[in-house]
Amino acid sequence: MSPTARTVEHVTCLGCGCACDDITVVVQQDRIAETRNACALGAAWFGDGRLPQDVRVNGRPAPLEQALGEAARTLGTAQRPLVYLAADLSCEAQREAVALSDRLGAMLDSVTAAAAAGVLAAQRRGRAGATLGEIRQRADVIVFWGVDPAERYPRFAARYAVEPRGLAAPRGRASRTVIAVDVGTGRGPADADVRVAIAGGDEVDALGVMRATVQGRVAGDDARFRGAAELARRMSQGHYVALVADGEPGAVPADPDRAEALVTLAQALNAPTRCAMVVLRGGGNRSGADAVLTWQTGFPFAVDFAARFPTYRPHAGAAALLAAGEIDAALVVGSPASVPEPLVGALRRLPSIAIGPRASAASFEPAVAVDAGVAGIHEGGTAFRMDDVPLPLRPPLAGPPTAAGVLRSLRERLGA
Amino acid sequence: MSAARQLRISGGTVYDPANGVDGRVRDVCIEGDRIVDDLPAGAPRLDARGMIVMPGGVDMHAHIAGSSVNQGRRLLPEEHMADPVPAPRLADGAAARSGTGGTIPSTFTTGYRYAGLGYTTVMEAAVAPLAARQAHAELDDTPIIDAGCFVLLGNDDYLLRQLAAGEPTRARDYAAWLLGVTRGYAIKIVNPGGIARWKAGGGAERNVSGIDDPVGSSSVTPRKILEALAGAANALELPHPVHIHCNNLGQPGNVATTLESMRALAGQRAHFTHIQFHSYGGEQGKGWTSAARDVIEHVNAHPEISVDVGQVMFGPATTVTADGPVEYLLHASTGRRWVNIDIELETGCGIVPYSYKETAAVAALQWAVGLELFLLARDPWRVVLSTDHPNGGSFLSYPRLIRLLMDRAYRDEQLKHVNQRMLAGSALLDGLAREYTLSEIAVVTRAGPARLLGLKNKGQLGAGADADITIYADDPDRAQMFATPRHVIKGGVVVVEEGQLRRAPTGRRLTVRPEYDAAVTRDLERFFDDYACVAFANYGAEPVT
Repeated sequence: MSPTARTVEHVTCLGCGCACDDITVVVQQDRIAETRNACALGAAWFGDGRLPQDVRVNGRPAPLEQALGEAARTLGTAQRPLVYLAADLSCEAQREAVALSDRLGAMLDSVTAAAAAGVLAAQRRGRAGATLGEIRQRADVIVFWGVDPAERYPRFAARYAVEPRGLAAPRGRASRTVIAVDVGTGRGPADADVRVAIAGGDEVDALGVMRATVQGRVAGDDARFRGAAELARRMSQGHYVALVADGEPGAVPADPDRAEALVTLAQALNAPTRCAMVVLRGGGNRSGADAVLTWQTGFPFAVDFAARFPTYRPHAGAAALLAAGEIDAALVVGSPASVPEPLVGALRRLPSIAIGPRASAASFEPAVAVDAGVAGIHEGGTAFRMDDVPLPLRPPLAGPPTAAGVLRSLRERLGA
Repeated sequence: MSAARQLRISGGTVYDPANGVDGRVRDVCIEGDRIVDDLPAGAPRLDARGMIVMPGGVDMHAHIAGSSVNQGRRLLPEEHMADPVPAPRLADGAAARSGTGGTIPSTFTTGYRYAGLGYTTVMEAAVAPLAARQAHAELDDTPIIDAGCFVLLGNDDYLLRQLAAGEPTRARDYAAWLLGVTRGYAIKIVNPGGIARWKAGGGAERNVSGIDDPVGSSSVTPRKILEALAGAANALELPHPVHIHCNNLGQPGNVATTLESMRALAGQRAHFTHIQFHSYGGEQGKGWTSAARDVIEHVNAHPEISVDVGQVMFGPATTVTADGPVEYLLHASTGRRWVNIDIELETGCGIVPYSYKETAAVAALQWAVGLELFLLARDPWRVVLSTDHPNGGSFLSYPRLIRLLMDRAYRDEQLKHVNQRMLAGSALLDGLAREYTLSEIAVVTRAGPARLLGLKNKGQLGAGADADITIYADDPDRAQMFATPRHVIKGGVVVVEEGQLRRAPTGRRLTVRPEYDAAVTRDLERFFDDYACVAFANYGAEPVT
């Protein structure tokens, strides 16, 4: 290490929803030189920490004051403004964005809309869950349902579910049975102790058979579901079962029936044994947006303030309103790169404002762009792990103005 | 900076039981955020003639912020859709926030509604230490009220290890450290040992059934947990003693456990919470009876004990508690929506939305048991009004509860309409004539809880007290009167004016920071290295540098 280097310890990585908070970041000449303990995905998320620090109006550099004035004018005169929360925001910035939406009477939505199936299933049925550390302490049977966490959640197995020692798993991996359920093309982890294959089209029915088996109801003897029924019996005999599924959208659109069947299976397993379901969530403090929107409005996403109070529109959120041409101005907060593609196309056709990391490079060409830092790299505050555990952020670098600060200035201009 | 604000509340009928003032016409003077003895003759006045003046309400046990409460909020979109709340119009065009209500309102609405009810201090009664940062963030978004957090202990692995190792001093140091890093106010125990058993996995023993059941180690029992934490709270001279949710909540026959828990701590200060849910006779499968008389007689005879009632009110509720095994039973027996979250190394969380119906035998019994406890209590200073919001009903039902206590005719009329099947033997059915006086209501809703919380400047109107004051228009319908205060003053700021919310200042956080032997943190760092999934340095709710 060079004498000019400094290290920042206990940094929380928001590269995925694991939110590993054991990262040591080495900074050299205002660049991130090393991210110890981080996985490849995390290291890529930190990068070297360099960011553009531009403020642009209609593509041309402009003073911040002018950009805020233009943004306030655009949003303040819009009939149906949209505020969209992308990834890489601290909870503090998310709180500011909700306040601004309330003031504007805006439609407020977030990247969570893409993971809506699981959220809505949990609202209809509840859920049997646990924080990730409790899975580590307790689980003796871990079922990965059509997901290999190594792909999008690289340290999940090492830090939480599989490998570490826990109170009831004194030998770590050796104390646990790992079961991979391959659902269609969604494969479980390669090194599982047991594999079960379920055809993609049979998934919801298989989950129903499993629930019936757990509850001791007769579920027929269809050969297609024998593997599922056997799996259900095996899970019932576990001491503490973890059922791990991916909450983020994949190649196949999320099926609400599937999400609900997973929830109710996990709940039903709490009669013969204990079971917790883990819903894997992506990075950039997505779970924080759900938590903040819920405490400030009562709803986790798709909140419409048009009536001057919060209304829940889970089936008519940002994507639907943009597609229908109802939105006439949009404010995108957070990393534009995390905005799903269909929304990007619609945003191109609107006057938009982007405030966040690399806003000036947003592919939807915002009329006003204010580059801000990345929560956790350049901005402090709070972020949530995928299991809703709040963690402090220890930004290793200074950066452009914070998203929370820019939003506050914008809100003040709008008289709120 | 302008001179300190002055205000003379003149000519009101004052109920300030902490200072022996029982319905006397006198002025109350405010300078800045404090009450003062007197003000110059020319000071601004608020004419309170014919009105009733009390200290601001103090809710010592409610669930309004934090990870479990927010999971409950997320579970109730239809309640929130049915109760939209536009932003109040504040004086001088100050920014205010819209929200939603229901049994678990959004944060801003929670602050506005408590203030609108004349409550100025609220204790969040169950904060998981791991998620304390969230509880404080939510309270930061809950305007007007001063708030504190009760921190969950008693099922946490580190504590149980100390008890198993016979290290009560280390357990005390740990409790002190934890209160500091979580910015907590008091120690809360929920179902001591029972949640740890629930989390320990499948098998026959998914909860404890009495205070001498072993929890992991045979040397750790609910009794040991109660003794250790009650002893810690008293040795640390915390302003509020240990706050206990006993084992076997909501189970028929649980009175035995409740009384045993009280006896286990004989001679020590301890607060037993929502005792309505812990005062049942009978047996599982053989029906329930009221055991309110047994419990309240014990409380009456033991001045070191205090309680809050946890009254059940007919209507919607959301049961939300760290007591995971209880919520599983409620889900299994009702088929209702259910959330369970096991919280690593610490505690649990269970949620079931619920509704108490007059026509249901158990709900009617619960309602009657709560009223019996109130009406048979001899010392109102130790028997506090609560609904365990939102478990027994919303805090918005407090005015109706006050009328039930103050108005026998109203109460007897209600009693006629409830299911009588389990009420045999209930003192309520024998006819309890007692009617609470306004002074007694002032005790059970502000002076008493403030004293039990050790909040010397709250719940009273003496010089130097916080200028938290509620002014009611005298109305023989006490439910109406307490639901709609004419004026509410919080920290010297008039927040409710002529019945309208007009200002929404930021409330204060109430915290303690007891001292401890720093050796415990070295041991904790080792424990975190071995077991935790959060860095020791990132744990708690303090700002990081």
